[in-house]
Amino acid sequence: MLNFSTENEVQQTKNWHVLIFLAGVVLLFGILLLRLFSLQYTHYDENLQRSDNNRIRKVELIAERGYIYDRNGEILVRNRPSYQIAIQATSLPRKKAERDTVFNRLLQIRDTHGARLFDSLSLDTAFQRSRWIKTRPIRLLEDAAPEQIAVIEEHSSELPGVITMIESRREYPYGTLASHVLGYTSEISEEQLKLPEFADYSQRDRVGQKGLEQGYDKEFRGKNGMKLVEVNASGREVGQVSGVDGTDPVPGLHLVSTIDLNLQKVAEEAIPDSAKGALVAIDPNTGEILAMVSSPRLDPNIFSLKRRERNKGWAQVALDSMRPLTNRAISGTYPPASIFKLVTAGAGLESGILSENKYYPKPCTGGYQYGSRYQKCWGTHGNLNVVNAIRLSCDVFFYQAGLDIDMARINEFGRRFGLGEEPLGIDIPGEKAGWLPDSISFNQRKKHLGWRWARGLILNLSIGQGQLVTPLQQATLIGSLATNKGVYRPHFMKELRDSKGNVVRRYEPEIIRPGKMKPYTHRVLLNAMDSVVNHPGGTGKRGAIPGIRVGAKTGSGEWKKGEKTHAWYAAVAPLEKPEIAVAVIMEAAGGGGAVSGPIARKVMMAYFEAKKKLENPEQENSDTEEAGATNTVVKKKEGE
Amino acid sequence: MSSGKFLSHTFRFDGFFIGLVIALMACGITLVYSATVSDEIPVFDTFWFKQITYFLFGLGIAGALTFVRIDWLKRAAVPLYAVSLVLLVVVLFFAGDVVKGAGRWIDLGFFKLQPSEFAKIAYLLVISYWLSRHPVNLAKVKTFVVPFFLFIVPFGLVLKQPDLSTALVFIAVTMVGFFFAGLTVADMFLIVSPVCSVLFSHSQSIEYQVLWGMLICAVVVTLFRRHLPKILSGFFLFTNILAGYASSMVWNMLEPHQQKRVNTFLDPMSDPLGDGYQVLQSMTAIGSGGLTGKGFGNGTQTNLAFLPEEHTDFIFSVLGEQFGFAGCAVVLVLYALFLWRATSISKLTSDSFVTLMVMGASTIFLFHILVNIAMTIGLMPVTGLPLPFLSYGGSFALTCSVLVGFLVCLRYQSSRRM
Repeated sequence: MLNFSTENEVQQTKNWHVLIFLAGVVLLFGILLLRLFSLQYTHYDENLQRSDNNRIRKVELIAERGYIYDRNGEILVRNRPSYQIAIQATSLPRKKAERDTVFNRLLQIRDTHGARLFDSLSLDTAFQRSRWIKTRPIRLLEDAAPEQIAVIEEHSSELPGVITMIESRREYPYGTLASHVLGYTSEISEEQLKLPEFADYSQRDRVGQKGLEQGYDKEFRGKNGMKLVEVNASGREVGQVSGVDGTDPVPGLHLVSTIDLNLQKVAEEAIPDSAKGALVAIDPNTGEILAMVSSPRLDPNIFSLKRRERNKGWAQVALDSMRPLTNRAISGTYPPASIFKLVTAGAGLESGILSENKYYPKPCTGGYQYGSRYQKCWGTHGNLNVVNAIRLSCDVFFYQAGLDIDMARINEFGRRFGLGEEPLGIDIPGEKAGWLPDSISFNQRKKHLGWRWARGLILNLSIGQGQLVTPLQQATLIGSLATNKGVYRPHFMKELRDSKGNVVRRYEPEIIRPGKMKPYTHRVLLNAMDSVVNHPGGTGKRGAIPGIRVGAKTGSGEWKKGEKTHAWYAAVAPLEKPEIAVAVIMEAAGGGGAVSGPIARKVMMAYFEAKKKLENPEQENSDTEEAGATNTVVKKKEGE
Repeated sequence: MSSGKFLSHTFRFDGFFIGLVIALMACGITLVYSATVSDEIPVFDTFWFKQITYFLFGLGIAGALTFVRIDWLKRAAVPLYAVSLVLLVVVLFFAGDVVKGAGRWIDLGFFKLQPSEFAKIAYLLVISYWLSRHPVNLAKVKTFVVPFFLFIVPFGLVLKQPDLSTALVFIAVTMVGFFFAGLTVADMFLIVSPVCSVLFSHSQSIEYQVLWGMLICAVVVTLFRRHLPKILSGFFLFTNILAGYASSMVWNMLEPHQQKRVNTFLDPMSDPLGDGYQVLQSMTAIGSGGLTGKGFGNGTQTNLAFLPEEHTDFIFSVLGEQFGFAGCAVVLVLYALFLWRATSISKLTSDSFVTLMVMGASTIFLFHILVNIAMTIGLMPVTGLPLPFLSYGGSFALTCSVLVGFLVCLRYQSSRRM
C-alpha cells in the first residue's frame, strides 16, 4: 500500500525503540549505582567494621541425640561431651612461612608424659586439606583430654586458626550389656549417603548402626539448628550477629525400651563371653522383649573413641572368627531340633491324627527302620503317647507321627505360630527369616547340591532337623503356644518421649500370626510342656522353679558330624497364665536340658523374684532399699 | 537517527566495541586472579589461567564468525534450533551430574556441554529469523502462534532442568523481540500488566492496593486508545483483574511454610541462614570496599573464602570490595557503552533480522548483568546467572564470545552490503 513511506517510518520507529531500550539500560544501571552508593558510602562504616574486625560465620548447632532407657527408666545409652582440637582454614595465616610456624608450634606441644600431642604425618595431612576445605573446621585431635584442651587455649594467641570444640558422643554405661540390641553410632559412610533413605543426612553426620540406634535413628537424631556468629581474626567466636535469629536445634526423642535392665544383667552373666550363644526373653502377651543376649559381645563404646583406638577396636571385632558383630538372637538361624516336636505334635492333635490315647505300633527300641535306612533314637523309650513322647523327647514316636501327619500340616501349624520364611518384623535391623522346607522349596534350595526331596526326609523334619529358626522365633513359638492368643510382633520400643518427658508415641501390640489352636490341642501341649520340666524323667527338669509351673522343651541340634550338638532350651511360665517365654541356644555346647536349661532357669528365677518383691510390699520394706540392691549389682558387674 | 552517526557508517569494524570487550575480559581475569590466587597451585591449573585460555579461544571463534554471511545465519537458524531442542531433551533424560540436584550437563569428555547455553544462541537465531519475516500485531492473535511455540518448548525444557533463571532469559529475549517486530510501547505495557497485577496485589497493604487500582486504570485507558478488537480488550482487562484477585487468593491458600519459601526466594535477606547468608557476606564485602576499594588483592572478606562462589556468581563482590564504588561504576559504564555500541548496529541496516539479532543479543547481556549484580547487592533473588566477561566459567565465556562474534559479524556484513 504505502510501501515507500512506511520504509522510512519503520526505520524511525526502530530507532525510537532502540532509544527506549538504552534509556531502560541507563535507568536500571542507575538503580544499581544508587544501591552500590548506599552500601559503599552511606553504610560504609558498619560494613567495614563487620568485615575488618568481625567475620560472620555460620555454625551448625547439633541436636542432642535421644537417650535409651530400660522399661523402669534406667539409662542404657546417653551422651557425653567430647573435646576436639581443629584448625579453621580461613583463620590460618595466609603466608606460608607463618603457617609453617603454627605447624611447628603444634608439633612441639607435648603432654605430661613428654609424648607429642600431634604426629607430624596427620598434622601435615590436615594442613594440606586446609587449602581446599574452607567452610568447616578440620579435626586434628578428637576426644582430647581436658589438659590437652587447656594447653591449646593457653597458647591460643600463638596458634591462630587452631580452635577447640565440644562435640557430643554416645556413651554406653554398661559396656557390652545388650550391645547387639542397642547398636552403636558412627560417621555416615559414603555408601549410605547415596541411598534414598539418607537423603536428608549430610557428610560427617553421625548415624546409628545396627540395633535400636539404627532402627530409631530418625527419632534419635532430632533436628540440627543454625546460628550466625561473629568470629575474630583468629577464628574464635566473639558473639552472635545482632538482629539475626538462629534456629534452635530440636533434640531427638528418648526411647523407653522394653528391656528390663536387671533381667538383662542376669542373662548376660549367665552366658559367658567365651561361648557362642543367644538368649531371648519375651512377654508373649504383648511381644515385648525383656532381655536379649548374643554372645560374644562387643563394646559399642569403642566407636566413640579416638580414631586410632576406634580402628583398633573395630578391627578386633570385625576380624574375630567368633563373629561378635552378629546378633545371633535374630540373625542366627539354627535347626530348631526337638523343640520342633511341639509343632509336629500340635499339627497332629489339631488334625485329629494324634490324641492322648494314640499309640504307634512300633515302640521305641532305640531306633526305627524306614525302608533300607535305620534312624536312631537317642534312648530306648518303649511305647509312648504324645505327652510322654514330648517329655522324653522320643524320636521314634515322632518319626511315625510325622509320616502320618505329613509336612503340609506340620508347616502350616508352624507358620501359624511364627515360624517360616517371613521375618517377625522386630524393630531393629538384621532379622533373618527361618525356613520350613517342603518338597518344592527343598528342591529349589538344595538344587546346587544335587539333592532331591524324598519322603524319608520327613523323618528328620518331624524331629526338627532340617528346618531353620532364629532364637527369637523359638521364644515367640513357645510363648504363643502357651498363651493360645496369637503371635504378637516382638519389639523393643515401649514409648518415645520428647526432651520434656512427654510421651510422643507408644507401641501398640500387634498380632502378626493367628497363633490359635483348638482348646484340646492347647491343653495337651501344656501338659506335655509341663511334664518336660516337672515329671520324672523329663528332659527339662533342670529348668524347674519351685512354686512356679514352668513348661519347656529341650533340643539338641545336630549341625556337623562329630561336633557337639547346639543346646536349645525354650521355656514359658507360669503355665496357667504365661508371662515370660525364654529361648536359649548355646552353639556346639551339648545337650539342651543340661547346658541351656539352667541358663533359662536363672533368668526366670530373676524375673519371678523381682515380681514377688513388687507384689509383697512388706518384704520390700524388710529389704533395706531396692535401689541399693540395684547399685550393688552394678558395682559387682563393673568390678569384674 | 540521533546519536552515534559519526561512527556508524564509517567503519566496518568497530574498534571501540572490540576494545570494550577486551577491557571487560581483562577486568574479569584480574578479578578471578585476585579471588583465587594461591602460591600453591601450578599456574596451568589456576582459574585465572584457564579463564585466559577460554577468552582466547572465544575471541578466535568471534573472529571466525565475522566472516559468516548473514543469509548463512538465517539458513542455520532452524537446524540449530532443532539440534538445541534435541540436546535439551537429552540432558533431561541422561543428566550428567544428578548428584548435585540439577542435571544440566552433557559430558563430552573434553568439554562439558551445557545445552541451555547453546539453546540461548539457537533460540535467538530462530526467533529473530521468524519475526523478521512475520512481524507481530497485537490485534491479530494469529501472528503470535508460531513465536509462542518456538518459545515455549525450549523454555519448558530449561525450566524442567530446573533452571529458572536461564528460562527467564528466554522470556526477556522474546519480549524484546516482539518490541522490535511490530509491537508498540502501549502493547508491551498491556502484555506486562498482568505480571504487575500479581506483584502489586499479593500484598494486602493499602499502598499496594492503590498501586493496583492505578494500574487497572492505566490498562483501561490504554485499551481505549489502542482500539483493539473488543474480545481482546476484554481479555486483557479480565486477565489483570483475575491475576490481581487470584494471586492474593492463591497466596492465602498456601501453607505458611510455602509462603516462607516464596518470600525467601524474593527476599533472600529474610532467611539469613540460608540463601541470605551468601548475600549478607556479599553485601558486607561490597560495602566494605567504600568509594575507592581496599586495593587489588586486599579483599579480606573474599580472600578468606566466606563466599564459596566468589569467582563465579559472586565475582562482582570481589570487584566491589577491592575497587570500591569507583571500580563498580567504571565496570557499569563499560557495560553501558558496550550495549550502546552493540545496539547502534541496528541503524546500519534495514534488514529487520539484523535488528532483532542485535537487540536480542544485547538483551541476553543486559539480563545477565542486571540479575547478577542485583543479586550480589541484595536486590534480587539468588539465582545462578553469571556476569558476562567477569565470572569464571568456560561455558558462559563461550556463549558470550559467540554473541560478540554475531555482533561483530552483523556490523561487518551489513556495512559491506551497503
